[in-house]
Amino acid sequence: MDKFNEGLAKRKAIYKLYPQAIPSGYAIDAEKCRLLGDGKKCEVCAKLCPSDAIDFEQKEQLLNLEVGSVILATGFKTFDPRQFEAYAYASQPNVITSMEFERLLSAGGPTAGHVERPSDLALREEIVKAEKGLKKLDRQLKQLEKKHGKPTAEVVEQFKAGAEDEDYKSWASLAEKFAASDGKLAALKEKEAASHAPRKIAWLQCVGSRDINRCDNAYCSGVCCMYAIKEAVIAREHAKDGLETAIFFMDMRTYGKEFDQYYNRAKESGVRFIRCRVHTIDPVAGSDNLKIRYATEDGRAETEEFDMVVLSVGLESPPGAAELAEKLGIDLDHYRFARTASFAPVNTSVPGIYACGALQGPKDIPYSVMEASAAAGAAGSRLAGARHTLVKEKTFPEERDISAEPARIGVFVCNCGVNIGGVVRVPEVAEYAKTLPNVTYVQENLFSCSQDALEQLVEVIKEQNLNRVVVSACSPRTHEPLFQETLRNSSLNKYLFEQANIRDQCSWVHSSDPDAATEKAKDLVRMAVSRASLIEPLPVPSAPVTPAALVVGGGVAGMVCGLNLAQQGFKVHIVEEKEHLGGHALKLKKTWKGEGVPEFVSKLVDDVTGHDNIEVHLNAKVKEASGFIGNFKTAITLNGGGDVREVEHGVTVLATGAHSIKPDEYLYGKNDRVFRWHELDKAWESDQVKNAGSAVFIQCVGSREPERPHCSKICCTFSVQKAVELKKRNPDIDVYILYRDMRTYGEREDLYKEARALGVIFIRYDLENKPVVRETEGGTLEVTVMDHVLQRPITLKPDFITLATAIYTRGIEELAQIFKVSISQDNFFLEAHMKLRPVDFATDGIFVCGMAHYPKPIEESIAQAEAAAARAATILAQKYVEIEPIVSVVDQDLCIGCGLCETSCPFGAIRLEKIPGKGYRAENISAVCKGCGSCAAACPQKAIDMQHFRDRQIFAAIQAGGARG
Amino acid sequence: MHVVEYLLDLSGIGRNRMQLRWVSSAEGQLFADYVTQFSDLTRELGPFDLDQFKLPLAAVEQTLTSPRIRWLMGMSRQLTERENVYHEKLNEEEYTRLLHQAIEEEYEKALVLEAIKESPQLVREISGRIGLPKPRVSFWLSHLKNSGQAEIKGYDETTPKFVALAA
Amino acid sequence: MSEPFEPKILAFLCNWCAYAGADLAGVSRLQYPPAIRVIRVMCSGRVDPLYIVNGLKSGFDSVFVSG
Repeated sequence: MDKFNEGLAKRKAIYKLYPQAIPSGYAIDAEKCRLLGDGKKCEVCAKLCPSDAIDFEQKEQLLNLEVGSVILATGFKTFDPRQFEAYAYASQPNVITSMEFERLLSAGGPTAGHVERPSDLALREEIVKAEKGLKKLDRQLKQLEKKHGKPTAEVVEQFKAGAEDEDYKSWASLAEKFAASDGKLAALKEKEAASHAPRKIAWLQCVGSRDINRCDNAYCSGVCCMYAIKEAVIAREHAKDGLETAIFFMDMRTYGKEFDQYYNRAKESGVRFIRCRVHTIDPVAGSDNLKIRYATEDGRAETEEFDMVVLSVGLESPPGAAELAEKLGIDLDHYRFARTASFAPVNTSVPGIYACGALQGPKDIPYSVMEASAAAGAAGSRLAGARHTLVKEKTFPEERDISAEPARIGVFVCNCGVNIGGVVRVPEVAEYAKTLPNVTYVQENLFSCSQDALEQLVEVIKEQNLNRVVVSACSPRTHEPLFQETLRNSSLNKYLFEQANIRDQCSWVHSSDPDAATEKAKDLVRMAVSRASLIEPLPVPSAPVTPAALVVGGGVAGMVCGLNLAQQGFKVHIVEEKEHLGGHALKLKKTWKGEGVPEFVSKLVDDVTGHDNIEVHLNAKVKEASGFIGNFKTAITLNGGGDVREVEHGVTVLATGAHSIKPDEYLYGKNDRVFRWHELDKAWESDQVKNAGSAVFIQCVGSREPERPHCSKICCTFSVQKAVELKKRNPDIDVYILYRDMRTYGEREDLYKEARALGVIFIRYDLENKPVVRETEGGTLEVTVMDHVLQRPITLKPDFITLATAIYTRGIEELAQIFKVSISQDNFFLEAHMKLRPVDFATDGIFVCGMAHYPKPIEESIAQAEAAAARAATILAQKYVEIEPIVSVVDQDLCIGCGLCETSCPFGAIRLEKIPGKGYRAENISAVCKGCGSCAAACPQKAIDMQHFRDRQIFAAIQAGGARG
Repeated sequence: MHVVEYLLDLSGIGRNRMQLRWVSSAEGQLFADYVTQFSDLTRELGPFDLDQFKLPLAAVEQTLTSPRIRWLMGMSRQLTERENVYHEKLNEEEYTRLLHQAIEEEYEKALVLEAIKESPQLVREISGRIGLPKPRVSFWLSHLKNSGQAEIKGYDETTPKFVALAA
Repeated sequence: MSEPFEPKILAFLCNWCAYAGADLAGVSRLQYPPAIRVIRVMCSGRVDPLYIVNGLKSGFDSVFVSG
């Protein structure tokens, strides 16, 4: 069973966990191994392995490690739906979990990305087995026929006639068995012919989440809505022939960055969304189809048939979490997730032990990555004093000057075991390489990247006095750095290296055509050699890092980030627009977990202002900025524009926060009993609120609308929290929350549950039927809303209304221009990668955290701020930054100063400089340059060339490749 | 790339000999599909006959090196999205029309120049070789002569022969 | 022509996108015709139109650019 593919495929007794596994090594499955598992003789693998890498003696070892911090990141386990009989997961092959579906969709999965029904997969497997069995029976019958010299049919005939020959009895029964198997196979094949790829697939949400009747997981798993939509969209795209998809859900919780837009697109593209809770999945007799029975919102019972049903299973605390917690002494919460506090989101209850990812509550990839960085930062800053103490600095021999030498190229052709050698005739390629100009040495390797081969490479370079090296092997994307390091070890500049990719882009993709693959490999080697003859050594310049950070924004995110960096010993400048630090957190009273915010913020402000390494600039704004990673220079205007201060810093953190809109609907601004967010807190002790008999909250005011399609994420939790507080203070008050989807994700669901238990009434409304607020002549407020359960409009008469208005950013365009960073469609700062690099900008050395990135609760802002500090510290802790020399170079004699290069550069890395006596000439800023070469292609004068990708180097490769051998 | 496509069509080589496709790092399947499709297409087109297209290809190359075309290519965004110093802004269509006109002119000029590179030729001969009407050939020859790229070398009776001057 | 014509295609692939995609095709063992000869560039923006002409001049039958 292949565990990685959720048991949907089989694996051998020697296996790699999955194709991209790191380390990319194979392991022996001890249970299935003939030698280790069954104690039989075998050791075939040991004999076949050319590197002698098989060791049957390897045993588990206990290691004692001395460490200063521990990070727990043991993840989650998916909910096991076998216990839900009504969903028939255990009994019906075509009811699968979302994790299994994920594997079916994967190009590297058991079906290579084609969605197929497990019943059909099983059917095919059964056919293969039946065919094998039939062949065996056939062989046995043929042997008997040969032995006795008569046909089976005759023997069967005799037996039917009543013969009682003992010898022939077994023969006849064998023949009977054959006929039966043959019949069975035919039936199976008939069934297979009638089978088809699924045409209709259903997803069932909240399986093992938000459920206390059938399991104990009351919390929301937070990720299933989004992954179900993704699976439906991808399945539809892949099927291409109008696959029908339907998602059965309670609340659509697409609360993340650009998630709601994805949801809208899915709806538009034809994914159906049905709001309900499914109670039963029944098999459909005579097929492998399934019938779903559910109740609609207004109480009607419905049924619908599907080819396949996917259960969107929730996330649970991983097995072993309890044991781990006990051993380490850390606290778990009531769902067995590691307990953390809002103000220290990655700290466990034991100092020095940190937890990140789903171990401390269900969450998606970006937030897990943020926490991972935060935990790494927290662990690192605890150890800041010990920084650089256990490090062994790497040194390389001095580089040899080869400028006067003619090219002496060494070509190393790799077999990569059988990966290349099994298809490409490597000896022939090596022989061919010897005939190429400038090649003075050729060698064939079994594995060029193995430790001994690399050591030998160093020797050969010295012995043969090579000054260029071409390795024909795998992809430079994976192995170029390794070989370049080897070159440096043998006194050669690392850019005197060239790699021909004859594995990933040759032997692996032309495995059935060795002739053509060998020809192609020769061409690729010829191209590489011809380019290598012209490549030049490039110095790798480095620039000192200014060990200071500029943090723009003095809210919680900015302060946490700044304080964290200051505590690690770096100088920090915090720039705040207002006259005081604190930002929006000053208006907050409590987190959803009940922790007091004012105490936290005032201590944070004290710590920040009292820290020697921190300089706070109030009433200040960023005016302009220049420079690059490690070496920024920013001008700040102080005191409302009067003074300008120039600051030098190595990193920049943008933490400028966000605001809530002031709507012009629902009588806001026209009636003083219509509040917005924290205006309710301000009025908390007023008679109006204190003595109120009825309160209404309206959600999604200005969010999730065509004009502002994003979800503001924090409003549902806020309103529910306030509703609970109102109810607790005065149980007699009627509280209504008018919502579109209740998005109390994660363990916030507890709060929603508590609110319902306290009698808070939740009424759902649609965008097409928004609530109507009016003031009667008597001065009372009246809210009319369509109730979906009762199917008729109802009118509420609250004493006050609180609007959860949309969160948006203000004025970030200007900052984006100044720092050359991007903004997303919904006008938040755009990180380098939405999932994997949630705090980095695409521009090196600049980071983002807090609400300027996307609306988020305080604990997530803090985690992101700590993550940004951790990422920033990786730069500040270095003395120098190496500057990649693959950049453009301008020939200023050819340049006419037209400026086309400046407009073509996406990174602002080339600009016109005034040169005395010449007018304007282009100049490259190499630390900012990404080496894309757009400027070189755009230059009308051909005055710009790219280091390492010079025109003549590329032309050489083109010409060498085009020649027909 | 649009310029290259246009030139490949103009020269009779055909834009099908070049293809631009976007593939992300996660789209191995898409890459394989594109390569398969393009290989099939190229096989259908048949081998590229270098001898047949020697002149046109050289002219295409020269056109692409001409500062006028390179400058127009580089300025596309500047010209269509921003204003020039006279506060004029071109719309997409105007720009394309301008670009095509420039390409056609530069290409014709390059073709004529290529045709007289090896030996002195008569207008009639040139016109026959490159399929351009004689008046156009004469027009470009006088232009090339004036700009010092060609000269008259020898006569066939009274008709002059033209030859290219080394740059 | 006696034997079937096997084309030779010059390909310029961006290191970050299409070249990585081509590597992935390899890792996934997806098979495709052996016609292409790849030149890695740091960005497809580096591909000067002249490279395309040069490819045809050098004996390739067509040119593929992918970023």
